[in-house]
Amino acid sequence: MSRVLDSGGKWIGWAYFADLGSALALTFSYMFSRTVTMQYPDKEKWLPYQRYRGHHFLKRDAEGEIKCVACELCARICPCYCIEVVPYEDDKGNRRPAKFEIDMSRCLFCGLCEDACPADAIALGQQYEFSSFSSDDLVVGRDDLLAKPGKAVSGGAVVAAQFQAGQDVRVEATGTQGYNWWRNIRRR
Amino acid sequence: MELLVALGLIALKVAILIAALLLLPLPLTWLERKVAGHMQQRMGPMRVGWHGLLQPVADGIKLLTKEDHIPADADRLLFKLAPVLALAPPFVVFVAIPFGESVSVLGNEITLYASNMNVALLFILAVIGIEVYGVIFGGWAANSKYAVLGSLRTCAQMISYEIPMGFAVIGVVMLAQSMSLLDIVRAQSDVWFIVYQPIGFFVFFIAGLAEAQRIPFDLSEAEGDLGAGFHTEYSGIRFAFFMVSEYAIMLLISVLSVVLFFGGWNGVLIPLPPILWFLIKVAFFIYLFIWFRFTFPRYRYDQLMAIGWKVLLPLSLANIIVTGIAFL
Ligand code: SF4
Ligand code: SF4
Repeated sequence: MSRVLDSGGKWIGWAYFADLGSALALTFSYMFSRTVTMQYPDKEKWLPYQRYRGHHFLKRDAEGEIKCVACELCARICPCYCIEVVPYEDDKGNRRPAKFEIDMSRCLFCGLCEDACPADAIALGQQYEFSSFSSDDLVVGRDDLLAKPGKAVSGGAVVAAQFQAGQDVRVEATGTQGYNWWRNIRRR
Repeated sequence: MELLVALGLIALKVAILIAALLLLPLPLTWLERKVAGHMQQRMGPMRVGWHGLLQPVADGIKLLTKEDHIPADADRLLFKLAPVLALAPPFVVFVAIPFGESVSVLGNEITLYASNMNVALLFILAVIGIEVYGVIFGGWAANSKYAVLGSLRTCAQMISYEIPMGFAVIGVVMLAQSMSLLDIVRAQSDVWFIVYQPIGFFVFFIAGLAEAQRIPFDLSEAEGDLGAGFHTEYSGIRFAFFMVSEYAIMLLISVLSVVLFFGGWNGVLIPLPPILWFLIKVAFFIYLFIWFRFTFPRYRYDQLMAIGWKVLLPLSLANIIVTGIAFL
């Protein structure tokens, strides 16, 4: 109370509750500003940026062959030892992985495997919804990895989505045209 | 026969009032959560019904089906009595409140109030004073530290704020020369009393905030330091009783502010039906309550007491003196 009085003749404002009034004005203006709520999972969903490191995926080359040459560099560099690669030789005489398993429950999404790969065969994609009731489901094999979605093309947006609770619960993006969530943040 | 009709009419009015008051928390909780959400840049309830409109119904069902838990050390009789004691007075008070002059239905004049007491104001202040027993008993009977602290605070707060509140309305009574709310509203048909009694309204509204135990004076249930204050140990339907009572008092203070200071159902400029004017004003005050809640922090306990005794009481006394001098 006294401090308000001391700060240079502001006592008139104090007597008329200027500070309370400005607080009310602030909350009132907030009431009519945009909300920042993202209505996940049943209406909206966050589409990550291109740089986002989500679930791994394995790439194919132009002929549809798996790019990985089973050099096991990713398995070696992985700080969590969660990649297991077993090579074999296919009919064309190329070295390919017979078994390629990533234990997602141990992965820390550092992206080192992506950096290390000499064949540009593995990368961390955009998928981030793969929670599971069993840790066994988190060990993902080669064919599943090939089917995983890749990097986001136009990321960093909130898109319309649909919630599906069936056998496996999924949130599917229904629209591609999203809005930038950060536009809703008030800055002064 | 005539007596029977009159009695039936009163019974009908009371039934409508009770139903309205019991259902009132449904839209009010929704409104409160919505306003809270948007003031904090959230959306509030969105999932149940259109924009969460059915959310209060879902909450009500949840409260009704919850376990009604009574702590082992509680005083069982008082514990069960307290919610009823808290709930009854706000309901009783509304008997004395007029919502308009009268409307004609099928050729009969039907007044929009259950009774026109000549001491309505006194009756309201007296009955609403009983409400504090519910809160005190509730906190005491639960036999829990938080609850006792909460009810002790409430006790002191209610007593110290009832005095300025009572003094604040004296100015209005002097101007209207009546304690009947109907006469008070009629006296305001030209000029609202807020013009003559700004200080009186100021004191009344602040004391009303404290009486309704809303932020910035909600020390009795300060969730930050007391869990939930006096109703910490209550659950299910008994908790709902406290909730309904809180909203009823909030409505009561809004209605009283409108009736005493803002001309009741007298409109300005735009000719609307009187009852609509009344509702608009009351709605504004309810919004004001909610708006305050999500803007201001809570006062400290000693500050609360200081405001009550050192600011509001002298102000209300000075108001009476000035009004009296001007009146003479
Ligand atoms: S992202 Fe890191 S932790 Fe995960 S598999 Fe690749 S190297 Fe291992
Ligand atoms: S994904 Fe890349 S680094 Fe890993 S085994 Fe295959 S080629 Fe080697």
